[in-house]
Amino acid sequence: MTNAIQIAVLGVLLGGVYALMASGLTMIYGVMQIINLAHGAFMIVAAYVAFFLYRDSGIDPFLSILITAPAFFVAGLIVYTLLFSRLVDSPRFGEMTVLLSFGLALALEGSLGAGFSGIYHRSDVSYSTSTWDIGSIFIPKGQAYGFVACLGLFGLLWAFLNLTRPGYAIRATMQNRGAAQVVGVNVTRISTIAFGIGAALAGAAGSLMSFLFTFHPAAHWQWIALLLSLIVVGGLGSLAGVFVAGIGLAVVAAFATDWLSPTWSYLTFYLALFIVLLVRPQGLFGKAATI
Amino acid sequence: MADELAQGSGVASRQPSAERPAGTRRVGSRNALLSCAVLVLFCVPLTYPVLTTYSYTLQIMTTAFMWIALASSWNIIGGYAGYISLGHNVFLAAGAYFAGGVFAYQGVSPFIMAPVAGLLCVLLGTLVGAITLRTSGPAFIISTIALMLIARILFDNWDYLGGSNGLSVPLLDLETGLIKVPFYYGMLLCAIGAVYLSYRVRHSKFGLGLRAIAEDEVKAEVAGIDTRAYKIAAFALSGFFIGVAGALWGYSLFYLRPEAFLTLAVAADMVLMAIVGGRATVAGPVIGAILIVAFNEISVSQFGNSEINLAITGVLLMGALLFFPAGVVGALRERRRLPRILDWD
Repeated sequence: MTNAIQIAVLGVLLGGVYALMASGLTMIYGVMQIINLAHGAFMIVAAYVAFFLYRDSGIDPFLSILITAPAFFVAGLIVYTLLFSRLVDSPRFGEMTVLLSFGLALALEGSLGAGFSGIYHRSDVSYSTSTWDIGSIFIPKGQAYGFVACLGLFGLLWAFLNLTRPGYAIRATMQNRGAAQVVGVNVTRISTIAFGIGAALAGAAGSLMSFLFTFHPAAHWQWIALLLSLIVVGGLGSLAGVFVAGIGLAVVAAFATDWLSPTWSYLTFYLALFIVLLVRPQGLFGKAATI
Repeated sequence: MADELAQGSGVASRQPSAERPAGTRRVGSRNALLSCAVLVLFCVPLTYPVLTTYSYTLQIMTTAFMWIALASSWNIIGGYAGYISLGHNVFLAAGAYFAGGVFAYQGVSPFIMAPVAGLLCVLLGTLVGAITLRTSGPAFIISTIALMLIARILFDNWDYLGGSNGLSVPLLDLETGLIKVPFYYGMLLCAIGAVYLSYRVRHSKFGLGLRAIAEDEVKAEVAGIDTRAYKIAAFALSGFFIGVAGALWGYSLFYLRPEAFLTLAVAADMVLMAIVGGRATVAGPVIGAILIVAFNEISVSQFGNSEINLAITGVLLMGALLFFPAGVVGALRERRRLPRILDWD
């Protein structure tokens, strides 16, 4: 029993981080119907930035969120304006943007690999190896801090979307792009901002990743596959869905690892993806028309 | 819609009847030229320098044939039907592991088992297509990526087939100078078969249906096309020559590892070649494959670093999408500069 509680606790802590990682991806899809395959590569780049900030300047990964998130917001604006906005009039926008972001991911992976080789990195902050012991259950401090930070960032995102005018505009665009345009939303500008925010969330997630997980240039494929599973299971474009799917699947994966083997951890996500595509293609919280 | 598509394709035999004799003659001379080119390719291994030394040229050409087969096959579902798959290297791995496994345990040569491997991939494509093609657009692409990663986990952990350590396949019992020759002919036949299949599909009612699906799936459905069956058939059919190529390629590597087949870079190359050459055209993937293989060779010999090569592949893909979305063949055709020898549509 304690073992089960222990696994569930670890799964929930991990799931919160997954949810934050996937939130930017699902929001970009919700606003623009862009599946940004470079999202994982953004995270890895941010993780490198956070890693070097910690190693060379001693800046704590949590503090580095204040650097990575704004930097990636700006980078997101630039990437969207230079690359994705050119395809807006393309008749096959959806798949063109998938391929474009695929190319971007390859370019980022290749550049990172050429610059830093394939060596595995991880910031060894003091709290990443220590735990709190509550009875027979232990809680790793790093994961717990990461979970709290994710809840905080999710709260900020919620507040932004629900309490500010640009947030209203983004939600309106997510619900109905045409109607939003009719009532005076500058859809082009909102799309650019939403892409920037999505990238900023990837940047923040990268800071957390730098001490929570080992990473290397090619790791982003594992991540993007996992995150895509989450956003499809949660329903493309649904932030609530990605939160539920992130925590739910992380707990299932943690149990699968315990009962079967670590191999099954990743399989859980991909199998969930296939089952959802078969049974309920719109996902848990998705609108039927989104796919 | 059928008329529109036929007109857009610029098929010589479908031009107004007054021009037909000229058109037919041109097609005739084009076919004669292409046959000559194929004949020359068949003779290359018989030339003196190739027969006497281990040939780099032969190796590169074999690689190019393989990619022509892969990109042309991918084009059936990704080009004609417009369903972009980033998981087609699963067929490559399935073909390689099936033929390699049969060879390692039963001793039947992959050259004999290659067509069987192709058929196995058609079967696999039917099963997988029935699931993944329930989705469309971005969700379909995601499902194919997931498929590839599931296959990777499967092969990494399948101890009977070597797992992540790999499965070694017995060497071909030939002199080093000759060892590439059977693979050269095998891949050449595979490439010719794949291009011919692509050509036949392009000029069939089935291919017309696929292109209608790519244009507008709802209208295609309304027009009476069984879109679901068409898509699954295209997906399965595209697996055949990839499976055959996989069987031969795996054998030529003498050692099967999941990471040689099941990485997104392999899937990316297939897509890149079809897009650079021109999606949904017959000649496009062939031209794209030759260009990219040549480019990869030059880039690796210049930089000697596959990471830089990967980065350039990504930049090329982005550049092609932004500036030449129709590819070499499409861009030339728009400007009416496409030489007739390359107009196979």
